[in-house]
Amino acid sequence: MTPAAPPALRADGVTVHYGTHLALHEVSFEVGAGELVAVIGPNGAGKSTLLRALCGLVAHRGAVELAGHRCHHRRDRMGTAYIPQRADIDHGFPITVGQLALAGRRRFLRTGQRPGREHRRAAETALRRVGLAAEADRPLGALSGGQVQRAFLARALAQEARLLFLDEALSGVDQPRTEAMLDLFEALRRDGATLLVATHDLALARRRFARCLAINTRLVADGPPARALDNAALEATFGSALSPTR
Amino acid sequence: MTDLLRWFSEPYGSSFMRNAGLVAVLIGILAPTVGVWVVLRRIAYLGDAMSHGTLSGVAAAYFAGINVAIGALCAGLLMGLLVALLERQRRVSQDSAIGVIETLLFAAGVLLISRNDRAGVDLTHFLFGQIVTADRSDLAVNAALTSVALMVVAVLFDDLRTITFDAPHARQVGVNVRALQLALIVLISITVVVSLDTVGLLMSVALLITPAATARLLTNRVETMTALAVVIGVSSALGGLTLSYHLATPPGPTIAVATVAWFTGAIAVGRPLGRFRHPMT
Repeated sequence: MTPAAPPALRADGVTVHYGTHLALHEVSFEVGAGELVAVIGPNGAGKSTLLRALCGLVAHRGAVELAGHRCHHRRDRMGTAYIPQRADIDHGFPITVGQLALAGRRRFLRTGQRPGREHRRAAETALRRVGLAAEADRPLGALSGGQVQRAFLARALAQEARLLFLDEALSGVDQPRTEAMLDLFEALRRDGATLLVATHDLALARRRFARCLAINTRLVADGPPARALDNAALEATFGSALSPTR
Repeated sequence: MTDLLRWFSEPYGSSFMRNAGLVAVLIGILAPTVGVWVVLRRIAYLGDAMSHGTLSGVAAAYFAGINVAIGALCAGLLMGLLVALLERQRRVSQDSAIGVIETLLFAAGVLLISRNDRAGVDLTHFLFGQIVTADRSDLAVNAALTSVALMVVAVLFDDLRTITFDAPHARQVGVNVRALQLALIVLISITVVVSLDTVGLLMSVALLITPAATARLLTNRVETMTALAVVIGVSSALGGLTLSYHLATPPGPTIAVATVAWFTGAIAVGRPLGRFRHPMT
């Protein structure tokens, strides 16, 4: 009998302080390989902090394991990719879509080493996967909101990240493009990638995600939308300001 | 046409002006190349402050009898370190930290100079530049420093782009962001050292910032921006030097004015050129 595969991600008591402010308190959960998970919560609930902590971009207490390996150093998390929210991206920066995708290959290069043909091919493949092959030479700032998120996804794919953390990736993206993005997430999930998507769109979370993590400094609920987004969980997550029927 | 060529070539008949021309070309290449990253990282104020703060290192080295370039380099590094330390205080912003440390180091330099009248006269050369006094040894030192700095930029080019655009991603894929930030501080310090002979400490920021800021108005690619900035830097340095010869004006400020002329021109033609650039949303 073969032992069960370890979860793609295990968070155990993840706690984050910004100075004296407690941003995240003892958050623990597991995510299996190939899961598509929505992380929901109000503004300031700690969604971005959680994703950043899991990637090792924010100092935290508690343990993070990737595929059964406990992360001690930054290099242990090179197989994860954090895709920032739109407000955190410098849209005026002079970088092309192709250069952005190629930046994902840096984990396979030494300092000063130029990316060779195989790396360029990997970046092109990643761009094709997200439907941006024709945009490789365009500046990132010339793309629409949804295309920018796709370009960052291409960078994550070029990085060969198996765990993708998308911070408000669907904010400011119109309905048809949101659906197309979710179709892409679903396709990546079927290919074996694990995706955690922070969102505050409850209707979308209910409709397109099989599992939701409700966060408000601590983990309030975890499960399928019917359970994680029921009235009691929503009130605990968002407070009484939110109508539970929304 | 012949008159124009003669106008350009006439100043360089003497060896001291040829040395000055070569020093101008070196700083015209180096400062804009480093300046591209200063502009893209939006740390122009740090570049300006480092050029001023370096005075303390120049003065200290002068009194200690060692090469002023070493003093300038140490002062630049000390400034970067002190700013980083001060920034760790949550209630001190980066610009405040830079302002405080710049004041401290510049004041220390002025106080050191004020203790020796003769030194005051000599050190004004470093404040405003004395490009026409540059000799072969100055040229050799500047050429060596410029070559090293350009090689460092070439090797780190992709990583500089990555940390400038998205530092968290850079960390994630194994780039040592702190080491690169330190490398940039060293590069700015080297640029200030090479500027000592040409435009001087006070106006070194003219060649560090203005050509790169001008090039940014004209292109959306870092590679093109670097090439354009170098063209602007070299033409400003040589053009300013030539103009200063004919107009009998100080070379440093004339070079600085030439860079601003380019910037003004780019502002004027930037809109028409924008048609040929990729649109930015």
